[in-house]
Amino acid sequence: MTAGKNFRVGAAVFRIKTAEALQYNVAWLANSLVGTFWGLIEITVYTVFFTYANASYVQSAALTLAQTVSYVWLAQAFFVSNAMMGMDGEIVGKINSGDIGFELCRPMDLYTYWYAKIFGGRFAPLVWRGLPVLLVGMVLPASYRISGPASIGGLLLMIISMLAAMLLSVAFNMLLLSVRIGIAWGDGPVNMILLFAGVLSGGYLPLQLWPDFMQKFLLFQPFAGYMDIPLRFYVGSANMRDAWQILVQMGWTAIFILLGRAVMKSRLKSVVIQGG
Amino acid sequence: MKKINTKGAGVFFSCDASGKKMPQIFLHGITKTFKVYERKKRGIITGAFFRNAKTVTALDGVGFEMDEGEMAGYIGPNGAGKSTTVKVISGILTPEAGECVIMGRVPWKRRAEHVAQIGVVFGQRSQLWWDVPAGDSFEMMRHIYNVPFESFKQRLAELTDVLDAGGLVKTPVRQLSLGQRMRCEIVASLLHRPKILFLDEPTIGLDAVSKLALREFLKNENKKHGTTMILTTHDMDDIKALCSRVLVIGRGKILYDGAMPELAKRYAPLRRLRASAKSAPAEGEIMIDGASSANFENGTLTVMFDPEKLKAHELVMRVSEKYSLNDIMIEEQNIDEIIAEMYREMNI
Repeated sequence: MTAGKNFRVGAAVFRIKTAEALQYNVAWLANSLVGTFWGLIEITVYTVFFTYANASYVQSAALTLAQTVSYVWLAQAFFVSNAMMGMDGEIVGKINSGDIGFELCRPMDLYTYWYAKIFGGRFAPLVWRGLPVLLVGMVLPASYRISGPASIGGLLLMIISMLAAMLLSVAFNMLLLSVRIGIAWGDGPVNMILLFAGVLSGGYLPLQLWPDFMQKFLLFQPFAGYMDIPLRFYVGSANMRDAWQILVQMGWTAIFILLGRAVMKSRLKSVVIQGG
Repeated sequence: MKKINTKGAGVFFSCDASGKKMPQIFLHGITKTFKVYERKKRGIITGAFFRNAKTVTALDGVGFEMDEGEMAGYIGPNGAGKSTTVKVISGILTPEAGECVIMGRVPWKRRAEHVAQIGVVFGQRSQLWWDVPAGDSFEMMRHIYNVPFESFKQRLAELTDVLDAGGLVKTPVRQLSLGQRMRCEIVASLLHRPKILFLDEPTIGLDAVSKLALREFLKNENKKHGTTMILTTHDMDDIKALCSRVLVIGRGKILYDGAMPELAKRYAPLRRLRASAKSAPAEGEIMIDGASSANFENGTLTVMFDPEKLKAHELVMRVSEKYSLNDIMIEEQNIDEIIAEMYREMNI
């Protein structure tokens, strides 16, 4: 199988999955309401903290209140790369039911196929859930409103980094999926791992508001690349000189892809498709 | 027994040692076992901690050969090993023992190349994307099977024309009826011009018209393109309409391999005479010389007889001496009865 063919299959899957997922507009619009509501609550809580905390803490905090507000809106809008987006239900279903066997009846690289499928599924929520949340974030009263990007360069870096974040989160999900092949249970442990990843991605509390001594670790662990690194570029706590952080995202992506492929290969060798 | 050279991880070869052409499908002594767990006799709670592992032999030395362009029915009761055989032939299961060479390749050793040459239709599963038009799925098949665009266009036009599916290509699959979806499934399976096609209960759930149309299509496709077809089904009319050859599997072994009429002769040698009669001397069991059994119920006379022993015209004469017959009909035993009889006799 040539790389060229692999790419064409991937592109075709991406296209069809994107087209499919975009049809669920009402479901995602409803979802954006949840996102908006959640965002408002978070902002209220942060406002309370920033207002009533010891002034010296507020002074020394890595993010200002305005930056945090922007962070919250963007985290909701880019929910697609949130770790809790979880695994592709259809693929998990195929693993559980053994229908995975019929995917093997095709002359294609299963890893590429699934990867492209999950990746394709991520664009619909970006459009249907992300844009409405962003719109709400832009029209609210000043103290609840999202601020503009710190700089044009920062905005560009965020877009590139966001793309890298999606590649990274899909690569990690593929690793989990590969481990799941041949195991008839495992939704529980997988959800725990995803929750853990979610916390470490800054989805619950921006990583820069965590204690100082943890900052180095937090920046280099794989899940910062899900959300925190892209948003740093937007709110301006990272600038052009920090562009190398995108390389951290890409490095982890490469590691997860290599691992996922290796695991999948060995799993498929031993997998037994039982029953009619 | 044929000598097969399987050295060098599933290499291509088309001749055996004597230079004779290899059959397109060659299976010999294929054995596959599965591990099945079962709960011990007592206890719901102990069952959570202890269980017995049992080895089930799904295939026990299965072997047959098929040439290009053959259409064979592969039948057997549930759990006989039909799907397992198909999985071995399609390269997604590796057997523990035995040889399998399809078109010069060992399927599970060269899976990607192998599956590019085969097509599968599963009546109970869909290979189409549910929420998008079938045309999108076809387009994806084109990329997966690397079909050149011109060839794809031509083939798609041909298939949609014959299957009358042209108007279905742009409708989301979830909104198609079962018959319409099935036609699209067939298109999807044949777009890449497979040399071998597996059909697993392709007519399940279809209405009479769709069934007949599908059979007609498969017959023509086989004639026109020489596609080898293996049909697994419980619908014996499918077999009767399509297959010149039947393979019967039971308990993981091939029990019968031959023509359908032979099978009928062996397991259902009797013919059935049905007649409606006006006058009836007695209801229930009656005696007719030379017939295996006979009875008269509700104005219908049913006689089972062996045409080898008792010629039909003699039987009719004997019957009409006793009864005044309105009409008369002689038929073969129903194919489902034959198969049921065979399963019973073979104890499978």
